[in-house]
Amino acid sequence: MNGFNFHRAYSIARKEVMHILRDPFTLTLALGLPVMLVTFFGYAIDYEVRNIRLAVSDRDNGPAARRLKEVFSSSGYFRLVEPGPAGPVEMLDSGRAAAAVFIEPDFSKKIKGGGQAQAQFVLDGSDNSKAAAITGYLPGIQRAAQAKLAAQTIKEPFSAETRFLYNPELNSRWFIVPGLAAIIIGLLAILLTALNVAREWENGSMELLLSTPVRPLEIITGKLAPYGALVLAGVFFVYLVSRLVFGVPFEGSHLLYLAACLLFVTAALSQGLLISVITRQQQVAMQFSMITGLLPSMLLSGFIFPVESMPAFFQYLTMLLPPRWFMAAARGITLKGADLAELAVPFLALGLLSAGMLALAIKKFKTDLE
Amino acid sequence: MNAAPAVEVKDLSIKFGDFTAVDKVSFSVNRGEIFGFLGANGAGKTTTIRMLTGLLLPSSGSALVGGLGFGDGGRGIKKIVGYMSQKFTLYNDLTVGENLDFAAGLRKLDPAYAKKRRKELFELIAFNKPLSSKVAALPGGIKQELALAAAMLHDPEIVFLDEPTSGVAPASRARFWALIRRITGLGKTVIVTTHYMDEAEQCGRIALMRTGRLIALGSPEELKASAFPGPMAEIDFNGAGSAAFIAGLEKAPGLLELSPHGMRWHAAFAAKAAMDAALAGLPPAASAALIKPSLEDVFIRLVEGAER
Amino acid sequence: MNRTLTAFIKKELTQTLRDVRMRALLFGAPIIQLTIFGLALSTEIKNIKLAVVSQPGDAVFGRVADSFYASGWFVRVGCAPGEDPYELIASGRADAVLLAPKEGLARSAERGDGKMQLLVDASNSTKARAVEAYSKNIIAAAAAREYGARGEPALKFDVRVLYNPAMESSMFLVPGVMGMLVCLITIILTAMSLTREKEMGTFETIVSAPLSDAEVLLGKTVPYILLGLADAALVVLAGYLIFGVPVRGPLWQLALAALALVVNTVSIGTFISTVARNQQQAMLGGFMFLFPAILMSGIMYPVENMPKAVIAAAYLDPLMYFVRLIRNIMLKGGDAYVLWTNLGALALMAVFAAGLAYKRFRQTLN
Repeated sequence: MNGFNFHRAYSIARKEVMHILRDPFTLTLALGLPVMLVTFFGYAIDYEVRNIRLAVSDRDNGPAARRLKEVFSSSGYFRLVEPGPAGPVEMLDSGRAAAAVFIEPDFSKKIKGGGQAQAQFVLDGSDNSKAAAITGYLPGIQRAAQAKLAAQTIKEPFSAETRFLYNPELNSRWFIVPGLAAIIIGLLAILLTALNVAREWENGSMELLLSTPVRPLEIITGKLAPYGALVLAGVFFVYLVSRLVFGVPFEGSHLLYLAACLLFVTAALSQGLLISVITRQQQVAMQFSMITGLLPSMLLSGFIFPVESMPAFFQYLTMLLPPRWFMAAARGITLKGADLAELAVPFLALGLLSAGMLALAIKKFKTDLE
Repeated sequence: MNAAPAVEVKDLSIKFGDFTAVDKVSFSVNRGEIFGFLGANGAGKTTTIRMLTGLLLPSSGSALVGGLGFGDGGRGIKKIVGYMSQKFTLYNDLTVGENLDFAAGLRKLDPAYAKKRRKELFELIAFNKPLSSKVAALPGGIKQELALAAAMLHDPEIVFLDEPTSGVAPASRARFWALIRRITGLGKTVIVTTHYMDEAEQCGRIALMRTGRLIALGSPEELKASAFPGPMAEIDFNGAGSAAFIAGLEKAPGLLELSPHGMRWHAAFAAKAAMDAALAGLPPAASAALIKPSLEDVFIRLVEGAER
Repeated sequence: MNRTLTAFIKKELTQTLRDVRMRALLFGAPIIQLTIFGLALSTEIKNIKLAVVSQPGDAVFGRVADSFYASGWFVRVGCAPGEDPYELIASGRADAVLLAPKEGLARSAERGDGKMQLLVDASNSTKARAVEAYSKNIIAAAAAREYGARGEPALKFDVRVLYNPAMESSMFLVPGVMGMLVCLITIILTAMSLTREKEMGTFETIVSAPLSDAEVLLGKTVPYILLGLADAALVVLAGYLIFGVPVRGPLWQLALAALALVVNTVSIGTFISTVARNQQQAMLGGFMFLFPAILMSGIMYPVENMPKAVIAAAYLDPLMYFVRLIRNIMLKGGDAYVLWTNLGALALMAVFAAGLAYKRFRQTLN
């Protein structure tokens, strides 16, 4: 940092802030994206799949069949629909139903006689998320139906009582919304930096800046700091909404959370800088940021798909991705109230990766000047 | 070739909302002429050219370019003129050949004809680099010459050049103007905008524009004569204090124009007698010489003078 | 073909594909995305870290625990004697801990209320739900094994999964990835390339040529339509070759659906370029459309499951119709009702979007 002049960095930062403020598009995205993500993930997505359209082919029309249908509709998951003239399978083909149940003509008779009755349950596997949820509901439906049909409660000799820690009501918003910070930082910091600096290269103004006595480190700090602040503002907004609107608990230390954010922002800004230095062209920089920035934060960080469920290769791969560690730290702090000792591994990894990215970006930036 | 003018403009105006960008401009351009537009930024030069190339439709007035009007929304005009816009018109990331192929495609030229024209134009601009050279790697002057070739691929009779030499090194500018003269030598008409005075001097006639109006029109000599009917002196103070004398000179009777030119001053007068009287009190170290006014003096008098 | 259009196609493709990195990204991205979606991501929760705490010599509990680990969903985490089970979860070393009753499972089961306790880390609610569902089934099966089934269950479901019996995620995600990629490439590249011409000033040369507005518009968009369709074909091919994702319906239906989508997206890209002043704005504008469009499309989350207002908005999302179409054609073999209703909706939107883009484009030209 020998000779680093805070004043010069500050004047570059001021210029950059003016640019951002005069650019309604960037500003709208930087502030609009968090709003949109919070609304969508907070309100629009219900991780418990409901309103599943179930086509019922009832060839029995007896009392037991009626009760079975009641069990389905009172579960809250299914909405019964009459099969059209072409039958339930055709309803699945055309997507007008997601599942179908076939009740045989002698269903009620069999139940009454104390025997075992069968119902065929057919579901549409072309939408996995829905199909997986439906198969998950079936055992519960079966138990409920048995109790209702045959007044038969199977008393298990032993069972387990489940206690859900940290999120007793399994509120999925508590789980998703704290993770949004990772997406916002991962997307905005990388993309905006990469594009902004690539543009300076593209139109030659970077050469102009570099021909002045301003040192490269001052340029980098000056250009990146405003974007860091902009991104942190987005994170703060998500924090407010998740606390005030969704009542997500915050069990841990705010200071620790801020530290995690700053580390991740450093990594993301450095990554954006690195991309811009390598590509120097906006279109290429954009594509690069999408693949190395957005995709990992959304898909490989554990935001929705747990890292532990991935094949071993991808689990090792995610270790190189800052968003994975930030996600672990953020959720640990907000929901579990974890302290630094418990989060030693994520913090150490995040710190190492941030330092590595920053060093790489500065080195590449400097060698490119010579 | 008939004798009708290449371009004939009458009361041409265009408004953008409440703003009148070009206000009742009338002039005509002869065939084979180099016709220049001179004016400050925002004077309406580019807007006038964009109308004459069919890119903008006028709000009122009329123009005939190569005998064609705006009846078809400018399509006919676009077909017969060549236009090189102010910004760089070639693609830096394409090769010379690819750029010219695209230019030919834009005008639906027959490939064989385009190839023949390309050869002719390469000879005209003395281009000898391979077709596969990337445009980005060429020097600025050569890029502009190539851009001109691309604009002339369809062999237009009238060529419009909007500040063709801005950002080009002085030596290359001279080369480019020699090229313009060669083109008019072939019987083409060239209409060019510039803000370099030395370039304007090379035009057959100049239209001087200010805030959308045409304020003077004529050959460089005619403009000088009409702006400065009397003599002009160049005063060199040779390091002597000038402030007091200049303050007095500004009030001298018969003074038409007084302007600083680097270390020297140009002073124009209505008549010889007025000049002799005004310069009588010149400090001893200073000297004054009779000079011919330059176009820059004309520009200062007509354009900047009107703003004072 | 029109000479101008050919020239445009040649020029745009040369500009976009000359850069090696751009080629790699345009054609590598689909493969990377497919691989991630196909191999790494699964909706099934696996590798749940489970610790068990019991008194020594509790054989029945030991067998229950073993059946957890044998299920393939759980991995064993050691627990030192006397260690606090809550601490195991707090530190993240275990996702769940199964605690035996104090007196031993066998004894308490004989008394009639064999209650074990399962502590689950619910900071990931999706995972917690899966853990509970898995353990219920495992425990029920273990109980039946230990004590014999008590009476035949009165009802049995015979479950069949159609179209994707193994419930492989790649089958379900390939159509989605295809939609996402086509959208991304066509919208953002169209918007950015048009804006770049305006930024650089080369657009002035194009409009100074005697072309109709439609020719200019087509010239700047058709190359990107072709690129988008090429990428779509690449995704289908890679999905088929690498992951065995079938194409059960006719290819012409697939092509028609892709074309209808691309006309929509290219129109949107054009529209964005008429608003944006530089490439950065064009890209951001693209994202403003893409993000909600992808989230509401049903690629990742079922649309029916969303609140009514969001569903209403989803009906304006061309990607939603496309995803429905493409899943139906690829996995179900193409149902006439689905094909014509969704294709009709897409076509209607395409006409509207193209008309709007054309109108805006003409306004900016003049």
